[in-house]
Amino acid sequence: MKRKSTVIVAVLAAVALGAAACGSDSDGGSNAGGGSDGYELAFVQGVAGDAFYITMECGIKEEAAKQGATVTVQGAQKFDPTLQTPVLQSVIASKPDAILIAPTDVAAMQQPIAQAKAQGIKIVLVDTTLNDPSVAVSAISSDNSAGGKAAFEAIQKLAPNGGKVLGVGVQPGISTTDARDKGFADAAKADSKFTYLGVQYSQNDPAKAASIVSAALQKDPDIVGIFASNLFSAQGSATGIRQAGKQGQVNVVGFDAGPEQIKALQDGTVQALIAQQPGDIGVQGVQQAVKALKGEANEANIQTGSTIITKDTIDSPEGKAAAYKASC
Amino acid sequence: MSATQTTPTVATEDAPASRLSRISRLQALQILILLVVTIAVFTALRPDTFLTGFNIRGIVQNTAIYAVLGVGMTFVIITGGIDLSVGSVLVFSGVVADKVMVWYGGQGWATVLVGLVAALASGLAWGLVNGVLVAKAKVPPLVVTLGSLSAALGFAQIITKGLDLRDAPQALVNDIGFGNIVGQVPTIAVVAAVVVVFGIVLLHRTRFGLYTYAIGSNAEAGRRSGVKVERHLIKVYAFAGLLAGFAGLLNLGFFQSTTIGGQSNTPLNVIAGVAIGGTSLFGGIGSVFGTVIGLFIPIVLQNGFIQVGVQPFWQQVVVGAVLVAVVYVDQLRRAAALRGTSPRLPFLSRAGGAGSASRKGSA
Amino acid sequence: MSAVLEARGITKHYGHVEALADANFDVQAGEVVALIGDNGAGKSTLVRILSGAEPADSGEILFDGRPVHLSSPTDARALGMETVFQDLALAPHLSPVQNMYLGREVMRNGLLGKLGFMDAKSMRDGSRAAFDRLGATVRNLNGPVGSMSGGQRQGIAVARAAAWAQKVIFLDEPTAALGVVQTQNVLELVRRVSGEGIGVVFISHSMPHVMEVADRIQVMWRGRRVATYNKADTSMEQLVSAMTGALAQEAS
Repeated sequence: MKRKSTVIVAVLAAVALGAAACGSDSDGGSNAGGGSDGYELAFVQGVAGDAFYITMECGIKEEAAKQGATVTVQGAQKFDPTLQTPVLQSVIASKPDAILIAPTDVAAMQQPIAQAKAQGIKIVLVDTTLNDPSVAVSAISSDNSAGGKAAFEAIQKLAPNGGKVLGVGVQPGISTTDARDKGFADAAKADSKFTYLGVQYSQNDPAKAASIVSAALQKDPDIVGIFASNLFSAQGSATGIRQAGKQGQVNVVGFDAGPEQIKALQDGTVQALIAQQPGDIGVQGVQQAVKALKGEANEANIQTGSTIITKDTIDSPEGKAAAYKASC
Repeated sequence: MSATQTTPTVATEDAPASRLSRISRLQALQILILLVVTIAVFTALRPDTFLTGFNIRGIVQNTAIYAVLGVGMTFVIITGGIDLSVGSVLVFSGVVADKVMVWYGGQGWATVLVGLVAALASGLAWGLVNGVLVAKAKVPPLVVTLGSLSAALGFAQIITKGLDLRDAPQALVNDIGFGNIVGQVPTIAVVAAVVVVFGIVLLHRTRFGLYTYAIGSNAEAGRRSGVKVERHLIKVYAFAGLLAGFAGLLNLGFFQSTTIGGQSNTPLNVIAGVAIGGTSLFGGIGSVFGTVIGLFIPIVLQNGFIQVGVQPFWQQVVVGAVLVAVVYVDQLRRAAALRGTSPRLPFLSRAGGAGSASRKGSA
Repeated sequence: MSAVLEARGITKHYGHVEALADANFDVQAGEVVALIGDNGAGKSTLVRILSGAEPADSGEILFDGRPVHLSSPTDARALGMETVFQDLALAPHLSPVQNMYLGREVMRNGLLGKLGFMDAKSMRDGSRAAFDRLGATVRNLNGPVGSMSGGQRQGIAVARAAAWAQKVIFLDEPTAALGVVQTQNVLELVRRVSGEGIGVVFISHSMPHVMEVADRIQVMWRGRRVATYNKADTSMEQLVSAMTGALAQEAS
């Protein structure tokens, strides 16, 4: 019995070793034994396996290859500071030259990222940010306000005669979606042909979004456009429109262009998508990191643009380029 | 006593009787060896970065909150129960502590102390609810704590409207969450170590610990010997809740946020650590020391894999495989040592149910 | 010589089933009384009532000649009566010492004791003394009893009861699952316990064991005592015929 269990423990250790070896082989971006000339970069995703971050990863790897740098990519299973912190700490311990990170919480990630800086590692914040972004050499993010403006422009094109427009938000207090909602509101108020009905919050629940939209259509049957600032809000809004029998009259503009959102566009659940440019964020992130490592001046804040995708442009080269990738 | 267990021969009468106790010590030792081997392997792979002061400090910091929860969980699992609510109770207590500290005002130690009382009281309250429902209402612990998992998180969201609170006072963040007690020894780890030592003494040296083992081993035997089984079960769940409340305050100091969305995996990670550490999910066997080692293993594996550059998803696969393999080995040994133990997981049945317990007693 | 424990006219119903009908029973200090009867004759019910595990519907229990009310096993224990149940009621993961003192721990003196610290040494010494006194073979005081043989476990259970009982011990089928050697050890243990002046109530289906160890034998049939014999005056044939209801009235 004792011998058997000892054997199993030994096998376990071997498996762990093997996985470690395989993993470092299969991961093309491994920095194990990285060249002394190239910089070693690390990218800590907000969450592993998400199209937005994968697209960003693609941009990072592409640009890193150009710059002669190597990249390791790590992310936690969920968008969660309690899971991201140990990942970040392990990455810091592996002593990369620079870390590109999408912080999962403006407060919780502040100290762990400050620790990285204290170890002499250059920090670039990608997409999300911190309460005090000064620990980073540069913070690159989507211009969410411009994204909201783009959403309104999409509605202008889809409903050129104007009318009433509604925002369906996630919940108040999220910096990115708040900025989108505000950008949309400001643009809508600026156009006299349109009436802005305000923003209501779905709490990320499609059923709630549906009841918001069907109630809004009861009150204002002539709504022409809805800006739903994330996927669930968009899905729920489309359901609410169907409940009210207003398909074709009301245009839904969604945000982001992952595989699910593209599918929603293809099957007519939404009429337009505002795609951010995560690949571009990644490219610029690497550029800023390398600049900092070379001692050149950094841009503290960079904002990237967004692209409108509609059913007409979805299969065009531009549309395909704007859609997020599931793998590089 | 059933007929299948008749006629032990004279030979067994002479057999060494201490097999089981040697095995439980052996288990902790083997896990320790596994941990040492893991560390050695990663040190060999990344000699320049793995065994550095910074990295060890990080690993210890990241284990600290789990260790505090693990102490309480070990007690609960030794009674044959389970507590799925620790993550939610942690969040709830953090939220209450945050609110109370904001109400009290200030950034200093007095504020922290007020928050500590609030966090402990919140955790204790949930623990008592769990304990009373398990011990008195005889609802299976799995169901009770699944319910409080949901309810505690729900209350936390009601209080905060779903948005994380971030009002940890400076003393809590700078001195406990990220501070060092001396040199590069993180305060949060020392605090957790104190809790762990307390748990070890409580479990192995006091009547409280003895009753905890007795209930998990054979609740009916305890009852007939005059142990107040229900009352002790309530105390054990209350203790686990109290520690979850304490962990809530530490969490607030470490993350400066109540991490409302972020603790859903916590109970399972803690239970995995307890199981890897040799505490039997069937009750009656376990140690706090083993739990601490068991909690270190997944964290060290993840840390090492990240440094070696293994893809994130492989890390989960390996941690899962280690968990199952370790518990399987443990099971094999235990089955050999303690014949006739009921294969039913006790936390799926009523607490200290006379039926399963007395069957075990007749082993 | 008066009975240390006596029961008069005990009745007990489970729904419509009459488990005990006007049952009488008595045991004296320092004697072994065997309680025998067919399955369902009411032996176990009677023992549960006398050990406080269940209340009787009616009847009287006299302890040292005084009527007593037993509402829980704790009451019975307080009077100096211990019971070894058929399923032993040992905690298999605990050691013999821990089982011996479970619910009756010896605490350390002073503050440490108030904080819940136990005096392990005095409990170990006490257990060793108790096992040695009764000749129970316990090889390892620290190993879990679950890994010990049936005979050792039975020995521990009986020794535990004997160590705490001042007056009466109930043994419910103590030899049912044991081999020959262990059975002899347990019967020897029973003799030693009664030799210390404790009344032993010995429930068994095994006539040879009963004949070997008992001083008196009380036979139950359909919820009442139908006969009491001194061992010297009876035979196995007589016992068996009493158990099968050949005697409708209580003898002697």
